[in-house]
This record gives sequence, C-alpha cells and structure tokens, in this order.
Amino acid sequence: MVSPSFTDERNTLMDTPVEQDSALVDTPVGQDSALVFDGSLEGLLSAIFFAYAKHLHPSDVVAQANLQPRLGQTIHEVPTNLEHALRVQKGICKTCGASVFEAVKYASVSDDPAIGSIIYRFVRYALKKNRPHDCSNCRRKPYCNGLCTRKHTKTALDDIAHSAVAPFIAAHRSVSNEQRYIMQFLRFEKVEGNLWFARCNPKASVIPLVMDWFTARFNTQAFMIYDEVHHLAGVYEGKDWYLVKTDQLSVPKRTDDELLMQEAWKRFYKTIAVESRYNPELRQQFMPKRLWKNITEMQESLGCPPTPNAKTELAEITLPLLAP
Amino acid sequence: MDLVEKLEILTDAAKYDVACTSSGIDRAAQKGKLGSTIAAGICHSFAADGRCITLLKVLQTNVCVYDCVYCVNRCSNEIARAAFKPRELADLTIGFYRRNYIEGLFLSSGVIVSPDYTTELMVETLRILRVEYQFRGYIHAKAVPGTSPELLDTLGHLADRMSVNLELPSQKSLQYLAPEKNKHSIIAPMKQIKHGIAEDKDTRALMKRGNHYLYEKRPPKKDRAFVPAGQSTQIIIGASPESDYHILQLSASLYQNLALKRVFFSAYLPVNDDAKLPLTDAVQLNREHRLYQADWLLRFYEFDVNEIITPEHPFLDPDLDPKANWALNNLGCFPIEVNTAPLEMLIRVPGIGVRGAKLIMRARRTTTLREAELRKLGIAYKRARFFITCNGSYTGSGADFSREGLRAHLAAPIEGGKHGRRADRALPGQMSLFESSGTQTSRLFKNAQTPLFGAREPLFAAREKEAVLPQPPQKLPAPLNGAKPLKEPAGMALAGW
Repeated sequence: MVSPSFTDERNTLMDTPVEQDSALVDTPVGQDSALVFDGSLEGLLSAIFFAYAKHLHPSDVVAQANLQPRLGQTIHEVPTNLEHALRVQKGICKTCGASVFEAVKYASVSDDPAIGSIIYRFVRYALKKNRPHDCSNCRRKPYCNGLCTRKHTKTALDDIAHSAVAPFIAAHRSVSNEQRYIMQFLRFEKVEGNLWFARCNPKASVIPLVMDWFTARFNTQAFMIYDEVHHLAGVYEGKDWYLVKTDQLSVPKRTDDELLMQEAWKRFYKTIAVESRYNPELRQQFMPKRLWKNITEMQESLGCPPTPNAKTELAEITLPLLAP
Repeated sequence: MDLVEKLEILTDAAKYDVACTSSGIDRAAQKGKLGSTIAAGICHSFAADGRCITLLKVLQTNVCVYDCVYCVNRCSNEIARAAFKPRELADLTIGFYRRNYIEGLFLSSGVIVSPDYTTELMVETLRILRVEYQFRGYIHAKAVPGTSPELLDTLGHLADRMSVNLELPSQKSLQYLAPEKNKHSIIAPMKQIKHGIAEDKDTRALMKRGNHYLYEKRPPKKDRAFVPAGQSTQIIIGASPESDYHILQLSASLYQNLALKRVFFSAYLPVNDDAKLPLTDAVQLNREHRLYQADWLLRFYEFDVNEIITPEHPFLDPDLDPKANWALNNLGCFPIEVNTAPLEMLIRVPGIGVRGAKLIMRARRTTTLREAELRKLGIAYKRARFFITCNGSYTGSGADFSREGLRAHLAAPIEGGKHGRRADRALPGQMSLFESSGTQTSRLFKNAQTPLFGAREPLFAAREKEAVLPQPPQKLPAPLNGAKPLKEPAGMALAGW
C-alpha cells in the first residue's frame, strides 16, 4: 500500500525529473516574467508546469493571441507538452480533488484575456492550500492508495472570498452561464441528408462542454453544432462526438418539412404571449439580445435573415483533455 | 384546417394556464431513445410577456361543454374551435423537441363530450409519445375534473407531472363562477394523485434490490412511475373577493395536506364579459407578485404561513416584500452576526437569499466576512446591512433601527417594466381603487346585488372583510418545528375549501 506523503508541493507534480530543455531559461526570482501559451487548456497546463519547474512566479500567463508585454518583462514562450499537462492534471486531481480540475477545465474555455493568469493563481493557491495532505482522520485511508479525491473535505473552491479564488469563481460561473444559454437557446434545423444543424454565438468556447449533453439527449440523430465566434464545430454521427476547427463551413439546404416546423414554432411563440402582461424588458433579461440572431423565433424581430451558407473543408482537431 | 392554424387556435386557448415548468425529475438519456429531463428544468424561450416557454403548451381541444364564467373557452363564447388528433400532436411534439425548441409537452384540454372521453384522447396522445416514440422528455398533463379514477391512473403513469386546477380560492367562488365544477370533482383527483404517488414510491422502495432476505424476483417489465414529478395546481387571483390571508392559508394547507409541488397564482385577466365578473381593467399583477414572494418563503425559506400574514392584516404590503415585512415585525431577532449565525437565521435576513446564505456558510470557514467579502459573494449588502453585524461591528448606520426608520430604506415598489398593463397600473391605489366613488371604477361588479359579492362592498379593503371572507381555519397549521400531521385534520382538509 502506498501511503500518500506530499511533503512538498513540488512532489505532487514532480514525481519524475523534468528533462532539461535548453530552450527553457532560468529567470532570477523577483524579475517580472510572462508565460505565453498557445491558448488551449493543454498549453495552459504546460505553462503552469513550466512555472513550477523553473521556480517562476510569472505576473502574467497569457495566450499568444492576447500577449501584451509589460515594460522590462521577460517573455517565456512555453511549448505545449501533453505529458506535462497530464501531470499537472493528475497533480490537481490528487491534491485538490477532481471537482477542482473540472472547474479549471470549465474556466479555461473563457474568452477573458486574463483567464490564464486567473487560473494560474488559482491553481497555485489550491495546490499550496491543500498541502500537506493530512490523511490521519480519513476513513478511506486504508484503501485509497494515495489516489484520494479529497471529495469529503473542503476544496479551494470553498474559499470564495479569497482574492485568488474569487476571480476564478467568477470566470467559472460566467462560462457555466454561457453553457446553460446554449442548452436553452440552441436551435437545430433539419437539412438534407438527414442531418441536424445548429449555429450559436457564445461568449466562451463552450462547445466541448455542451456536446455531452446534446449527444445524450439527441443520440438518435446525427447533428453538428457550429460556434460562429470561435469557429469551432462539434459533430456527432452516432458514435463519439468530435471537434472540428474551421473558418467557414458548408451546410446543405433545409428540408421542406423544416420550414413548416419553423413556421409553426414562430406562430406558437407569438400566440403564447399574453398581451396584457407584455414585458419585453423581462424577456430581454432572460434571453440576451446578442443571442437572438440564432434563435429561430427571434430572427424576425431583429429583421435579419438567417445566415447564408458558405463552403469549405473541415479539418478535425484534437483537444485530448476536453474530448469525451 | 392546416396544422399551423390549428396550433395557433389551441395555443391561444391554453396561454392562460400559468404553469410551464419542466422541473422535479431527473431522467438520464438512454441509447436509442429520444430525450432526457433534469430536475432543475430548462427554459427554452421567453415570450414577449417575459414568461418562460419550456413546454409545448396546448390544448387537446378547445371545445368545451362547461360554461365557466372566467374561462376563454366557455361554451357560450363564440371563438374558433379545433382539436388535435392524438398522432398529429405527438408528431408535432417530437418535431419541436428534436429542434431543441421545447423540453416536452404540457397537455390540457377543454371538455369534449365528457371528461372521460377527453381524458381518453389525452391518454392516446401520451401513449403514442411514450410507447411508440419512446419519448423520454417531460410531460405535464392536466387532469380534467370528473374523470374516472382508472383513466386518471393510466394518465398518471404516462405523465411526469399532473395538475388539477383549483381555479378559485374558495368553494363559494367556485360554485358561483364555475357552476358545473364542484369541490368533490376537484379535490378527489388531487387526493387520488397524492395517494398514487405515495403508494408508487412505497412499492418502488420495497422492490429495490437487497433490502430483504427473500428470493428476489424483479418485475418482468418495469412499469412507469406514477406522476414522479409531483402535482401542482393553479388559483385565479382577483376574480373573487378572497384576501391574501385566505389564499396563503389555502396554499400552505395544500402543500401540507396534499403534498403539492407548486401552487400557481394567476392574476385575473378579463377575457369575458359577464355580469358575474369584476368590472375592472386593472390586472393585479403586483398582488400576484407579492403572493409568489410569500409562496417562495413557504417553500424555500422555511417560513410558517402565520409568520408571513396575520388575520389582522389580511393583505400583503404592496410596497414591501413579505420577507422584509417579517424582519421589520421581528426586529428583536436582529442584528445577527454574519460570521456565526446559523443558516436558518441567515436566510431570514432581507438581502440574503438561500444561495447567499449557503455561500456565507462556505466562505466563513476560512475567512472573516466583512463588507467587502459579503459584496464579493453577491449579497445585497445595501439591504442586508441593517440586520447584520460583521465581526462585531454594526454597519447599518444612517437609519433609525425601528420599524418606521428601516421601512423607508427597504420599501421597494415592484419594477414591472415600462409596458403593458403594468404601466397604467392601479397602484398605489390598488387597495383603495374599489372604494372611490364617482368614477368609472366605483362600481366594481355589475351585479352588486348578488349575495356573494355583497352590495357596494369594498372588496379588497382590509377592514371590511368579515362579510365575505371565509373564516380563518380553526386549527392552524403546525408550527415551524412541529411535526407535520400524518392525516389531514377531519373536516378542514383545506382552508376555506
């Protein structure tokens, strides 16, 4: 039986030595530095790994697209390394619990330019807070084999008023809200070839977070959800879903039956409102106007026709940590 | 008649039903079957009146043999009538569901031929959905009063939630405005549903694996649960003269005695022109709003109905929400220390809700909570500060710690948007509207001579209630800490009913 002995926060991440990479430069402690990653969750976790490995305390962890170097700041470009990312994932799960990593996963798809730094600070805080791992009173100690999820103890997520946690919770909440909006307001339409197609324009790249929900619920139909803002499509064809990165896409024509259904739905929507309770402010509060262009029944009131079709090829991408 | 036209007629007839929730049951998706439900429910759209659209809310038919005075579908109204064929409606539901427009079906109906015939049509629709199409989404079915128990049982096994409309807050009003319905035809199905749910739960608990030593024989085919998401009801507010006190006592006893999940209130909207109905154009939306707030206190804040409203003040304060009102009446309990107070006291502080109180409980294990932290948690500090101390210091300065002093800070008229009936609302004269003389509204009811709405009576005025209001129940519901009565008290199962 292996007993968990995390005496040092490094140990949680450093169970094997890091191979020396000549590209990685040691920076003297105290010097302002920024870590730059490619924008993916794997990249972000690699950057966190890098910070621990090099004893860095960077003031910024930013995606390449959002980089704005400060005066005198040393920039480290951290290459994405799946192995390192997986080790950080394992470390977080072991030390803080799987729920904390789940929260990190959610927050990482946020569009906030500062999200890298927010997550980095939170992970630092969470790993430090839950160290050392005291199992003396844990009833699962005899059989947890060091793989304790710490589900039964409080996690760093509970320190909601702490300055390292509050922005993280806010980001997490904002992504969750966005995910919820998609679950509510996504509208499929049937196109030729027995395929169901939906467009959305969320504030965060939440397609990977909603695919499980939609594939479970609509497992009898092949469908595709396209995110116009992040140019990401989630595709389900009857087996596991996958993600596709694309700038344009080709959508077949709508079926005749589809137009009838849309007409029926729009009529239903108009009729169900009680005139004497008319309250458009309340409606807009629940259903933000920025989403209306992709909500079938609202398109008319915006006066915009549905988005025209475009044509291109689709290339599958891999996001291992966000995959099903 | 084409489908779209038919849908329009039957939606128009169903829109006055308030309930449109898809909550109360978790049903995971299954491979090869369409649909799932989650207990929180999902709103798929919001209509122009701000109400959510989560279910396809339609009538099976709007043909009705009854002549309920307040109802748009009463048989003496000259409106277009239509009916869905069961398969037609089932196909439409599936079509909408696959497009993620809706969470399921809300099926109600006018009474065509007889209650049993109507229910058979509804059962057929649900059967096609559940059995033929293997639909796992949400279904809310409305029980038609007067249906035979066997049919109701079949319907309950196909639906997730059922509801029987109580329609009006007292028997007397019901008799007056809906003469074909009676107490028995409404209460009997409600009781049947309640007992059916309890029995079904017991049976399921007994059949669970491994809770006895006998040979286990699981039933060959799993039967559908009976109304797993519980039952709800709906009361029209303002078509009859009952007070808020009466209505809240009634809904509290409904929760307690009939184990209802929700009691919906619907402000009376004048859709018909009838001598028996109030002659008012002002919809009591604000009264409805306050009643809902009180209802929330009953269900989520563990308030007892007698704490919210008393017979001395039988109407809720239009300018102050019921929770703030309770706090002002019980200033002796405050201020409380936010870092040590128990959860049940925290949720009673105006400005701290259930979510806020739970966040405080979580956060204060590691942090001392002061103003900045509380604001970070999303507490309405502006309101809460008069009732709490943060780490020993009281921050509600600037206001006299008395009922009048704090009322000035907490009073908040309902912001109901700039449009519609609310814009030309009767407030602040909502209570006094009916007392004024010489104006058009001086005579509220055309038939001032009828015994129920006694002549020239200020119907909603607090002080002259005894003439029409039913007596408050002799036996008050059990207090907060008391155990719930196992059986309904004989004779007075429902306050006022």
